[in-house]
Amino acid sequence: MDEDKASLNKPTELPEELRKKPIIERGAIDLMAIAIFFLLITPLLSVHRVTDFMIFCIFAMSFDLLYGYMGRLSFGQMLYLGTGAYCCGLFIKYIGGNPLLAISIGIAFAGMLAMLLGLIIVRTTGACFALINLAFNHIGFFLVLSPLREITRGEDGFGVSASKLGVLNFGSRPIMFGFVLLCLLLVYYCLRRLTSSPYGILIRSIKEDETRVRFLGYNTFLYKWFTFILAGAIAGLAGSLTALNYNYVNPNAMDVHSNVGVVFACLIGGAGNLYGAILGGVIYMVISNFLPIYIYRWEMFLGFSLLIIVFRFRMGVWGYIQRFWEYTIKRKVVPRLMKKEAI
Amino acid sequence: MIYTIVYGLTIGAILYFISIGLSLTFGAMRVINFAHTLTYTIGVYVLITLVNFFKWCFPLGAILAILAVIPIGYIIERFIIRRLYGESLDYTFIATFAIALIGVDAIKWIWSVRPYPISDPIGKYLLFWGLSLPIYRIVIVMIAIILFFALNIFFKKTIVGKIVVAALEDKDGVRCLGVNVDKYFSIVFILGSALAALGGVLYAPIGSVHPYMGLSVLLLSFAVVIVGGMGNLNGTFLSAFALGMVMSITARYWSQGAETMVFIVMAIVLIFKPIDI
Amino acid sequence: MLVIKNLDVAYGHAKVLHDVSLDIEKGETAFFIGRNGAGKTTLLKTIIGLLKPQKGSITYQGQEISSLSPEELYLKGLRYVAQEKKVFGNLTVQENIEIAAYASQEPLERALDKVMSIYPKLEGFLKTKAGQLSGGQRQILLVGRSLVGDPKLLLIDEPTQGLAAIVIEEIVNILTGLKDQVSAVIVEQNLAMVNRLADRIYVLKEGKVAREIINKSEISDTKGLEEYL
Repeated sequence: MDEDKASLNKPTELPEELRKKPIIERGAIDLMAIAIFFLLITPLLSVHRVTDFMIFCIFAMSFDLLYGYMGRLSFGQMLYLGTGAYCCGLFIKYIGGNPLLAISIGIAFAGMLAMLLGLIIVRTTGACFALINLAFNHIGFFLVLSPLREITRGEDGFGVSASKLGVLNFGSRPIMFGFVLLCLLLVYYCLRRLTSSPYGILIRSIKEDETRVRFLGYNTFLYKWFTFILAGAIAGLAGSLTALNYNYVNPNAMDVHSNVGVVFACLIGGAGNLYGAILGGVIYMVISNFLPIYIYRWEMFLGFSLLIIVFRFRMGVWGYIQRFWEYTIKRKVVPRLMKKEAI
Repeated sequence: MIYTIVYGLTIGAILYFISIGLSLTFGAMRVINFAHTLTYTIGVYVLITLVNFFKWCFPLGAILAILAVIPIGYIIERFIIRRLYGESLDYTFIATFAIALIGVDAIKWIWSVRPYPISDPIGKYLLFWGLSLPIYRIVIVMIAIILFFALNIFFKKTIVGKIVVAALEDKDGVRCLGVNVDKYFSIVFILGSALAALGGVLYAPIGSVHPYMGLSVLLLSFAVVIVGGMGNLNGTFLSAFALGMVMSITARYWSQGAETMVFIVMAIVLIFKPIDI
Repeated sequence: MLVIKNLDVAYGHAKVLHDVSLDIEKGETAFFIGRNGAGKTTLLKTIIGLLKPQKGSITYQGQEISSLSPEELYLKGLRYVAQEKKVFGNLTVQENIEIAAYASQEPLERALDKVMSIYPKLEGFLKTKAGQLSGGQRQILLVGRSLVGDPKLLLIDEPTQGLAAIVIEEIVNILTGLKDQVSAVIVEQNLAMVNRLADRIYVLKEGKVAREIINKSEISDTKGLEEYL
C-alpha cells in the first residue's frame, strides 16, 4: 500500500539507497562516462579529429552557459574564443614558450574582455544582446585583420609552437588529446557543480523571470555579469587550446559566421544542460566534418535541420533522452525493482 | 569630397531600400528576420540572368526581378514567419537564419559561386563643377527620395497604411476592431522584400555580386534599423543616409574600416538606447 | 445572451480562472468586481478571444465562441475596451474612428455621427492626434469607437480608473444613455458607478466567482460591496 502511494504521489523520487549516493560519486560517473565516450570514438576517427571535437564541446558549454542557463542568445561568442587564441598564440610567439602560462593568459584576457564588455552588454537582452555581441565580434575580427596587422599578421595568421614543459609536449598528438580531455572534464565538472548550486538555480530563475528575482533582493546584474565573464573565460580556454592544437592562429578564430555552429550544436543537443552541449557539439562536428563529403549541399541540409528542430524538436536529442528516462525507466522500472525488494 | 558625398548618398539610398522592410518586420511582428536580404540577393541574380543571358534591357529586367521575388517573400512569410509570431526571440533568429542558409545554398546551386559582373546601365556622367559624376548614382538617390514620399503618403493617407501604423502601436486594439492584422502584416512583409530586391537590383552595377552579398548587407541594415528606430520609417530614412555617409567618409581615410565604423555606431546607440525585444 | 460554463484559463502553467460560470441576459449591464489580480481582466480577454480557455465553454446568443478570434467576434457585435485607455496615438481622432468603420464597413459619416452623439465635444478634436487627448477624452473615444458598426455587447475594463470625478460623471452619464442600446459587461472598482448602472454583479475572488448579486437592494448596498475589493 505504501509503495503504491509513493509512486502515485512522487513518481520521480528515487528509492532510499540511490538517493543516499553522495554528489561526488555521482559526478564521478558522469566524468567517466564522458571520458569513455571520447576514448571510444577515437579509434573510429583520428586522435586529431577527436581533439578538435572536444575543444568545440568546451566552446559549446561556454555558449550554453549563456544561452541555456541564462537565456541570452549571443551571436558573437567567437570573439572570446578568438581572443583566447590570439593572446595565447601571441604570448608564445613574442614572450615565452611556456604552454600552461600561455593558456592562462588566453583565458585571462578573454575573461577580462568579457568583464569589460559585459558591463555594457549584460544590461541588454534578447535581440539587443544578440546583435551587440555580433557587433563586437565583427569589430574584433576587423581589428585582428587590419589595424593590428603588424602584430597579428592579419589574414595570414602566424604559427605557434609551444615549448615542452616536462612531460607536457603539445606537439605530440596523444598528449594534446589527453590534456584537452582533462580540460573538458574539468570544465564539465566545475560547471556541473556550479549549475547545481544555488548560483545555478538563481541564474535559471533570472532566465525565467528576472524582475521577480530582483524583487527578491538579488543583484541580478552581478550574477549576469559573472556568468558572462565565466562564459568568456571558458571560450578563451577553447581558443587557447585551438591555437595549440593547430599550431597556428588566424582571423578565422574570430570569424562571425562560425557562431552558427555553436548555436546549432546547443539546439540540437538540448539547450540548458551540459550533456546536451557536449552531445550537440559532437553531432555538429560530425556533421560539419563528414557531411560535406557525402552531401554536397550540406549547408542546405543544415538549414532544413535547423528548421525542423525549431518547429518540431525543441528539446534536442538530450532532452528527449531525458524525457524517455523520466517517463519510462523511472516510472516503471524503478518501482518494479522496489517491489521486488519488498518481497 | 563631392565624390565622397555622392557615394555616401548612394550607399545610403541602397541601405534605405533594404532597411524599410526590416524595420517594418521588426516593429510589426517583433521578428528579427535574418532571411530578409535573401530577396535582395535573389533579385540581383534574376536580374543578371535576364540582362546578361536573355539580353533584356536593364529597367525591364529590374522590374521583372522585383516581381519575381514577391512569391518567394510570400512563401517565406506564410510558412515560416507567421508561425514565429509570439515565439521566443531565439527561435525566430534561428529559424530565419536557417532560411537564409537554405536560400544562399540554393543560389550557389543554381548560379554557382562565380561572381557575375554587370555594368552601369546608364554609363553617362554629369559634368558638375569640373567633376564627372555618374548619373546612375544620382538616379538611385532620386528614387530613394521619391520612395520616401510615396511611403509617407501610403502610411498617412491610405486606410491600409493607417491600419499598419495603428497595429504597430496596438495590435490587439486593431484586432478587436475586427481587422485581420496578420493579413496586413503579410502585405507589409512582402512589400519589404520587394523593396529589398529593388535595393539589390540597383546596387548590382556598382557593387560586387556573389551569393553571400545578402549577409554582408544584412548586418549593415540591422544597424540602420537600430539606429533609426524599429518601425520608424522616417528614422530609417535618416539613419540610412547618415550611416551611408559614415561608411563613405570612413572609407576615404581608412579603406577597410567602413563597415566596422557602422557597427561601432550601432554599438554606441545600443548602449545608450537599448531596444526591448 | 452570454453564458459561461466551467471556464478554466491559465497563463502557461499558472491557472488564473477556476471553474468560472456566469450568465448575462440581453439588455443587462453586468459588473465584475473584485480585488486586483482576481482575474477580471483575464475573464474579459478570454471572452473577446485574446486568450483561449483550457477548459469550459463560452456561449453567445446560443453559439459556442471560445475558439473564435477577436476579429470574428467583432463582426458578431462584441466590443472590447481594454484597460489603460490605449488609443491609436499616432493617428488622429477621426482616423481612429475610420479604422473602426473599416471592418464593419460603415460609412465614415455615420460612424462619426454615432460617436459624436454620445460626446458632441469630440467634433473639435477630430484632427487632433489621439495621443494628445486627456485620459478622460481617450476613454470616451474608446467607448465611442466601440459603438461603430452594430455593437451588441460591450466589454469594458476599468473605464474610470485614474480619472477625475467630473470626468467619471460624464462617462457614467454616457453609459447610462447606452443602456437601452447595448448590453454591457464592465469591470470596475468604483462602487458608486456600480450602484447606478448595474443590473447584475459578479464578485470575483482569486479566479473564482465568489458571489452573484441580482437583487436591487443588495446592489445599492455600497458598504456591503466594499468588502469584496
